[in-house]
Amino acid sequence: MHLDTSSPLTSPLNQALKIVGRLSRRDFMAFAGAAVASVGAASVAQAQAPALKSINAAEADIFRRVAEVVLPVGGSPLAPWTPEVLLGTLDAALLGTMPPHVLAGLKGGLQYFNEGPVAQHGKRFTALDDATATAFLDAWGDAKEVPQRALASGLKKLVQLSYWANPASWAPLEYEGPISKRSGLTSLGNAPLPTR
Amino acid sequence: MKHHAIKVEKQGLKVTQAADIKDSQLHLKADAVVVGSGAGGAIAAYELAKAGKTVVVLEAGPYITSDKFPEMLAVAMGTLYQDHGGQTNSAGDISVLQGACVGGSTVVNAALCFRTPDYYLKLWAKEFGLTNLTPAVMKPIFEKVERNLHIKTVGPQETSPGALLIGQGMDKLGYPQGKARRNIKDCAMTGFCFSGCTTDRKQSMLVTYLPWAVAHGAVIHSDTRVTELLSKDGKAVGVKGEIIDPATGRKKADIQVDAPLVVLAAGPIQTPLLLLKSGLANSSGQVGKNFACHPSMSVTAEFLHEVRDFHGATHSLYMDQNTLPDKGGYILLNAIQEPVEASFQAEPGTGKPYVAYMSGYKNTIRLISLIHDQNVGQVSWKDGQKDISYFVDDQDFESMKKGLIATAKILFASGAQRLYLPTTHVASIDRVEDVEKVIGGLKNEPARYKYTSFHPQGTCRMGRDPKKTVVNPHGETHDVKNLYVVDASLLPTSIGYNPSETVYALAHYVCEQMIKARA
Repeated sequence: MHLDTSSPLTSPLNQALKIVGRLSRRDFMAFAGAAVASVGAASVAQAQAPALKSINAAEADIFRRVAEVVLPVGGSPLAPWTPEVLLGTLDAALLGTMPPHVLAGLKGGLQYFNEGPVAQHGKRFTALDDATATAFLDAWGDAKEVPQRALASGLKKLVQLSYWANPASWAPLEYEGPISKRSGLTSLGNAPLPTR
Repeated sequence: MKHHAIKVEKQGLKVTQAADIKDSQLHLKADAVVVGSGAGGAIAAYELAKAGKTVVVLEAGPYITSDKFPEMLAVAMGTLYQDHGGQTNSAGDISVLQGACVGGSTVVNAALCFRTPDYYLKLWAKEFGLTNLTPAVMKPIFEKVERNLHIKTVGPQETSPGALLIGQGMDKLGYPQGKARRNIKDCAMTGFCFSGCTTDRKQSMLVTYLPWAVAHGAVIHSDTRVTELLSKDGKAVGVKGEIIDPATGRKKADIQVDAPLVVLAAGPIQTPLLLLKSGLANSSGQVGKNFACHPSMSVTAEFLHEVRDFHGATHSLYMDQNTLPDKGGYILLNAIQEPVEASFQAEPGTGKPYVAYMSGYKNTIRLISLIHDQNVGQVSWKDGQKDISYFVDDQDFESMKKGLIATAKILFASGAQRLYLPTTHVASIDRVEDVEKVIGGLKNEPARYKYTSFHPQGTCRMGRDPKKTVVNPHGETHDVKNLYVVDASLLPTSIGYNPSETVYALAHYVCEQMIKARA
């Protein structure tokens, strides 16, 4: 199976590519899979005082709105979150470690995503109400167009990882996290040389 | 070698790190330079050093001591994995995970070991002329690595709450329970294999072959990325590279190692990239081609009762009744799953359904379906960046569907009430009667599924024909003498099983050939 590279310019895929300008298709697609947390414990703590380095205010707004729609934890057992901490983790741990071409692809994709609802709803994603925004994300997750699926899945993954990478989110799950030191487990050290 | 004089450090490794480098130029000489310190590189370093060679090992990743391993996957991804865990195929839908640290992927794998099935050794003999790798030749090598790495079948206590449930489901359906064989000593059952074993129970290269190599005089440099392979008159003569400060990402020094023997063990993605960049060993045009990666998918099962599958043996149970290509082409593996991983494997629906799903995390387990895949991918340079062009083949996707159907039926037989599929669209199954219809209806599309690959392989195929393969049956490149490959690039075909023991054994075999050729 291969991606169709010959679809007409009017297809959403190529509209996306047009929006991301000089970015290659590969960059645009790859960012979704690059969303794996790489935050250090220190970084999580530092995220309390965010100074976003990888995204601008408009991009941060899109992420914040995605997070609000993906993680409506109010009234649930899950831990509350603040945009400052979540975006700080996202910025320091995920976006900050992306290769520049992947980050650039993400930024192009973010704009495409935010403009996505305009044709149908007359509003950008950041302006949609909760129910419409939720339905929009689910619809793009099941879209025929590859970039729409990649974006819906990738953006959700980024905010999910940013939330769950923080150990404070684990207590409601009763998940204890690291246990070796707490249990007093000791290192076995290096194995001895083979005898034969 | 006088073995009585050789002493292995009890803990840790002597490694020259970027912080230790004071000069802007380093020029070293050795009998052999080994590129990479994972499964193949560590074994090569040990075997060559033991044979009396002076050995320099160059590792692109950092040296992280095991006491710093975090037991948090999110943190481990950032410090121990290639591209901070962000390496993917070009479509972005397959996360291609590799260790990128001293010890390589052996530090972050789940320690699951399988001997190369005779089926593949025979296939490789028939189709690639590897008549030297017979089951009889390989048997003592497997026995050797199993002794050295303490590879044993899990004991009755080495399991997990999820594995016990899955085992019940397998029994009900008549599937054989495969008991995992792992290179772990006195497992502490934390379930943190993928984050590195902080108490050194996992017998990774970090606590076995690397300290043994150092005891025999090998020198290890971390933070050192080889950028060019050097050759003269058709023979390898050394490498050039850069020492990068991991804290800043800036180059700290250039390094050159002159050595009449160059051993490539940078892994099946970096090894072909290095050959391509150096313009070497590619008269066949096969360098970087034939990439396979054993794509896998996790199905998450939700139970009415708490399972608390938080800790235990990371992998302890498998089902390989249908693993060979003519039997179905898939293997099923249980695995512990921490919240970070669980958070994106399923798609219950955006918003409230997702919150409800994660709120029930302690009631969930997962079962992985991993497929034998065709060697249809390619690793190359594109616009100055690495490119892993790989899309799941339609035939392979049918194998995945068979694997997912078996997975789903086992999970329902285990007592699950609902299953979540790793898709981008909302996908769950509430009744076993719907399994075949729902999974049978899945279509092979890019960016539709959440695949993970831990097993890239096959980009510098071993074989007798220099027109069709990169490396000869002894592990030396057809084109460049004294240039050897000892990592998973060698595999002529995908093998459907976790390939670590195959790599350990092939590395030993190739080392024997290297040493014999220089006796």
